[in-house]
Amino acid sequence: MKRQIPLIIIMTLGFMFVAHSFIPHKVSVDFFDWFQDWAKAISPFAVSLGIMSLFMVHGTKIKRKVPNWQYSVITLTGLVFTAFAGFVWGTQSGTPYMWLFENVQMPMSATMFALLAFYIASAAYKAFRARSAEATVLLIAAVIVMLGQVPLGAMISKWIPEASTWILNVPNLAAKRAIMIGVGLGITATSLKILLGIERTYLGGGD
Amino acid sequence: MFETISNFVAAFLTLSIFSFLYKDNPFYKFAEALLVGVSMGYAIPLVYENVFLPYVYTPIFLSHKFIIIIPAMLGALYMFRFSKNLGWLARYPIVFGMGIVGMSVPMSLHSSVLVQMRSAMLPINSINTALIFIGTVTILLYFFFSKAHKGIYGKVTNVGIWFMMIGFGASFGYTVMARVSLLIGRIQFLLGDWLGLIK
Amino acid sequence: MNKNVIQFFDKMQNIDRRYIYIVVALSIIIPLLIPFNSPTFVTKPTEDIYKKIDSFAGDETKAILMSFTHDASTMPELFPMEVSVLRHCFERDIKVFTICWLPAAAPLVDYALNTAREDFDVQSGVDYCNFGYKPYVLRLPIMLGMGDDIAKAVETDSQGRKVENLEIMKNIKNYDDMNLVVDFAASGSALQWVTYARARFGANIAAGVTAVMVADNYPYLQTGQLMGMFRGLKGAAEYEKLVDVFAAYESEDYPNGRPFSKEIIKETSVPITGDTVPYKYKKARIGMNAQSVAHIMMIVFILLGNIGYFITKKKEL
Repeated sequence: MKRQIPLIIIMTLGFMFVAHSFIPHKVSVDFFDWFQDWAKAISPFAVSLGIMSLFMVHGTKIKRKVPNWQYSVITLTGLVFTAFAGFVWGTQSGTPYMWLFENVQMPMSATMFALLAFYIASAAYKAFRARSAEATVLLIAAVIVMLGQVPLGAMISKWIPEASTWILNVPNLAAKRAIMIGVGLGITATSLKILLGIERTYLGGGD
Repeated sequence: MFETISNFVAAFLTLSIFSFLYKDNPFYKFAEALLVGVSMGYAIPLVYENVFLPYVYTPIFLSHKFIIIIPAMLGALYMFRFSKNLGWLARYPIVFGMGIVGMSVPMSLHSSVLVQMRSAMLPINSINTALIFIGTVTILLYFFFSKAHKGIYGKVTNVGIWFMMIGFGASFGYTVMARVSLLIGRIQFLLGDWLGLIK
Repeated sequence: MNKNVIQFFDKMQNIDRRYIYIVVALSIIIPLLIPFNSPTFVTKPTEDIYKKIDSFAGDETKAILMSFTHDASTMPELFPMEVSVLRHCFERDIKVFTICWLPAAAPLVDYALNTAREDFDVQSGVDYCNFGYKPYVLRLPIMLGMGDDIAKAVETDSQGRKVENLEIMKNIKNYDDMNLVVDFAASGSALQWVTYARARFGANIAAGVTAVMVADNYPYLQTGQLMGMFRGLKGAAEYEKLVDVFAAYESEDYPNGRPFSKEIIKETSVPITGDTVPYKYKKARIGMNAQSVAHIMMIVFILLGNIGYFITKKKEL
């Protein structure tokens, strides 16, 4: 019953939502309003999962004094201090909480992604080889699109931006459309599988 | 003065992350650990103020809409996720939220499949529309793995591969642009806001 | 082939990647330190968004919604777009709403609003309204709820005020009035707006995406499901130019900006060196200079790498 009841709930709700997609009657609208209110009330508790997980993982590392356990102390200190700052001094602009966000979190998360530019350059030099005809076509298309995006491409030849636009509007469109149709069918199939209780991985392990 | 110190802290942390390009080092490890902690800690008061207070506290305690106690208790069941014996209780809030997946069946079928199919059914009156049609069909055939890609079928799916290579080349070109843009942003910060070399 | 050339390319194939990183860094630092004027060619996907937003100018019964679904890591591409759209709205008296779905996006919305409104006499709740952060799990209910009643779906704004009581909501009830949604994201989240808001309620959807998502969103652009798209930093640069040339244009004949014209935008170039345009409104165009150099560098790397590969392969044969 520990798995059956959640499955019954999701099947019932799921089919009600399928019906709701097609029925404009007030009953259907009221059902959606009810669901909205309840979903809004449930949602804030989901963040507790993340907090618990973080404390469990890093707490264990500190307790067992694994290599580099000191960095776990930094993680947990950062978490506690930031949350504390938000609750005590507020979350408005100018507070310590926002200072931590603007000068600690924002620059670091942006920099993490910026590292990728270096890696892509290194990969372009060391790994992107025209080993086959298909790979050559891929590289040529990439070069044309890269040149088409910058003013220099238009200055070299007016055909470069036009070729870049053609690549995006014809072969890329065909490729992405076909992939999208496949993905759309996959989403529909997976949603149906969840609705019908065939797909149960979201229930987690155990009985 | 305060802004200078703030910029200095942000620049120090930025350069700590960049130091990983040379090699893994304590500065990078420190910055990475701090990022994880601060990111999580940042979400907590925000969720409390923007979600818990207006959608749970206010309806129950101020508007006296006591029925909301039921979903609040349902949400509290999330915390049993890591319990060995009572972990099954966490399934209830999960399935409640997932019930809306029922809407995605007709809607994703409409937007991702039917509209795309309708748009692909263009009158083949130019070489471009012919190419789009051929490309779409051959790639869809390529992804049908229940039939072996041999003989004529193999040749047809090979055409699909060529179209996909061009598509992926275009994606790569844009990916390079995206990654470089992110780096430009950071360097604009370091040179502009921190060192004041760009105004 | 000359033995020295083969040895040179052999060495180059095994070069330490840290030298490559130095070249990448320099190829971006130098163009940023020494800005130059380069042409910005405006393309149709960006033009269409500009024309649509501009069609709401001075109309009290129309508004746009800017949806922020990204965090600070993708700010370099998306932030200039957001500031340009806000600047356009403030210049042309267009009601604008903002909403975000990630905790990390909330201060970015404030930052964009504060950056854009510095130069304008606009009021929160009257000219613009920030709905604030709504959790991602509520995205679908709110997206669908706004099709019937925006005030009921959103309830409160970022300052805790009841949305239905705000002056900006006069004549704005649902997607019929808030007729354009511009979704700024680093993921395929525009698909959700297209699937739910457009398919069900006929809302116009435009996307501001990072360059990495552009190719994936092209089918939606071609079918008309997306009425326009900002394509990464280039899209931001194009919109900056459009706002400079039209919305921010002032003259005796046009005291509050001038209407869009294809001929004017083709012929006009806006210099980014000098102080004519404030730095915050030309960040994307300055960035595109560095982008140009970086792209050339990347192409040179690909070519050098492949030349070296073929030469060393020939040597082995």
